[in-house]
Formats: sequence, C-alpha cells, structure tokens
Amino acid sequence: MSESASKGQTALTAEVKAIIGTTAERIEASSSWGIEREGLRRFTQAIMDPDPLYWDDAYAKTTRYGQVITPPIYCSYLARRAQPGEEDSVTLAFKENPNSDGIGGIREGVKGALPPIPTPLKRILNAGNEIELRQYPKLGDRIFSQAKYHSIKESVGKDGTHMLIVTTETIYTNQDGEVLCMLRASGIRR
Amino acid sequence: MTTAQELREKKQLYFDDVAVGQELTPMVIGPLTPTHLFRWSAAIENWHRIHYDQSFAIYHEGLPNILGQGSWKQSILPRYLKDLCLPNGWPWKVGFQHRAMIVPGDTITVWATVTKKFEEEGMGFVELDVGMRLQYGAESCPGKATIVLPIKNGKAIPYPFVPPKKLVAQ
Repeated sequence: MSESASKGQTALTAEVKAIIGTTAERIEASSSWGIEREGLRRFTQAIMDPDPLYWDDAYAKTTRYGQVITPPIYCSYLARRAQPGEEDSVTLAFKENPNSDGIGGIREGVKGALPPIPTPLKRILNAGNEIELRQYPKLGDRIFSQAKYHSIKESVGKDGTHMLIVTTETIYTNQDGEVLCMLRASGIRR
Repeated sequence: MTTAQELREKKQLYFDDVAVGQELTPMVIGPLTPTHLFRWSAAIENWHRIHYDQSFAIYHEGLPNILGQGSWKQSILPRYLKDLCLPNGWPWKVGFQHRAMIVPGDTITVWATVTKKFEEEGMGFVELDVGMRLQYGAESCPGKATIVLPIKNGKAIPYPFVPPKKLVAQ
C-alpha cells in the first residue's frame, strides 16, 4: 500500500474493512494474585479519591457492595503493568533507542493486543472515549479483558486527505465471566 | 476535594431532586503539579516521557510543558460521577473527547449539567453534559454521561447494574 492512500484515494480499503470485528486474544489483565490492596492504594492516591469503599472493610460491609471495591475503571489499567520475572522493558527500550519516548519499544508486544491495521496512516490522534459500567471489581478478583476492532470509518478532511476513525472496544470481565465494564476508544489515523 | 468522611456520610441524590438545566455540585482539583502527573504515571506504569520529563516534552516534542495524562482524565470523570451517585445510584456511562491540554499549574473544575431525565423500569435516568474546565475557561474533556438515580419510595437500583433492554444500543 502506498503513502498516496491518504490523499485522493480511499483509506478504507478492503484490507482495512476486513479487520473490522477482529477480536484479540482474551487475556488475564490482572496478575495471577488478582486485585490487591497496595496497587489499589497507589491508584486511589493518584486520582485523589479517599472513598472508604476502597480501603475500609468495616464500612464497605455496611454498603450494598459488601466488601472493598475498586474505582470504576481501575481494571482497565492492569494489563500494562510489568509482571515479575519479565525482562525489563524500560531498560531494553532505551538500550535500543537512547531517545525513546518511553512508549516505543516498551508497549510493543503487549499481550492481548489487536493486530496492526494494514494502513500507511501511522499518526494517531485520540478522538475520545466511551465507558460503560456494570459492576466494580473487588479485592481478590481476577480480571480478564478482550479487545476488538468495533468500527473503522473513513473521514475526508477539507483538503481531501482521507483519514480513518478507528474505534476499539475492550470488555473487562471477572473470574466468573461477569462483565465489569466496557471501554471504547476512538483514534484518528492520518 | 471531598474527604473520606464526606463520602461516608454522603446523602443520596434522588431522581426527584434534579431538574433539566440544573448544574450539579462540581469537583475542583488542583492546582496540579509535576508531582501529581508523575504519581499517576507511576501508579499505572505509563512511561511516556511527555508526562514527567520536562526537557523531553519541551525540547524534543515541542510541547509547552509536560502534559496531564488522558488516562488520568479518563478516570477522573467516572470518579466524579461515582461520587454524585453515592451511595445507591449508578454512574452508568460516560463518553468524552480530549480537547485542551492540561499542564502543571492548572486547576480543573469537573462539572455536570442535567440535560434530560426520564424513568425506565422504575429507575431514574439522568442525562448530563459533563466536562473538565480549566481555570481560564477552556474545556479539556467535553462529553455526555448517563447516571441512574433512585426514585423516592421507588425500587432500588440493581447491583450489578443491568441496563433496561430498551436503552441498550444494538
């Protein structure tokens, strides 16, 4: 596919269309020991949420949740955490490229990732997010996730440049297969 | 910022209490510092240098400063809606776009305005315009949300939440 696909020609090629609906491998996003207090403490500190639902067992028991829970989309950040025993991806990334932006070489090969979209359009702009919540994970829960290409649409700029609006959907479930939340992220490829 | 005790004692906001056009209680965060941004990057292991390496952000990426993370904003809006719904409502869904950049020094007002309300299966659905407004008026995260509030003397909102079939997008 040539670079000229972005101007004058459709970016929504048959190859691109064929990838819509493609589903990635369902993976365990959490560590094998599941949701634990220390990770939860650090996360709630970073969103500055002192809610006792996240740390006070006695209080949580009196609520409809019955036990300590996590913030709404806490589970969506778990898969990016490095697992013990893995080769250090940060060291590897900077060894390969001393000017690494901190992402290149670090996130590549993340488990459960979708296959790349067969397009020469490489620049990605975040176009927005949609979140739907069904229930909160609780301490000890094991979290699983599965991503898919929900939709890929074409948009044409005023200058005739063809772009792709790519929306991925990731569904998070617990060890019982119950849906916790669904996240859709849209990006503009240009 | 809300304290743990205030959340513990939070009084339920009922469907009956809100009206179209009403501005719900905002939440103010900030001013943000580089330390806040670094703490978030560390908490979720996001090592993108534009969020904590000022030299890289300015001189390599041409940015005005290190940037607040989109992933942080993505967690703040649901957190705000959760607080609004406590103890027995449900922050069902929210969608938003990333607009104005957040940089150290910014103070953020997370806000919601009621745009529509309706009953379905005995529950109160409240649609909102939401956002994260910066101290100089720019909107960083405009979007729309739907929360579910109990109706006074009505049925409890189920947990786990199961949306009415009529409201689930096909």
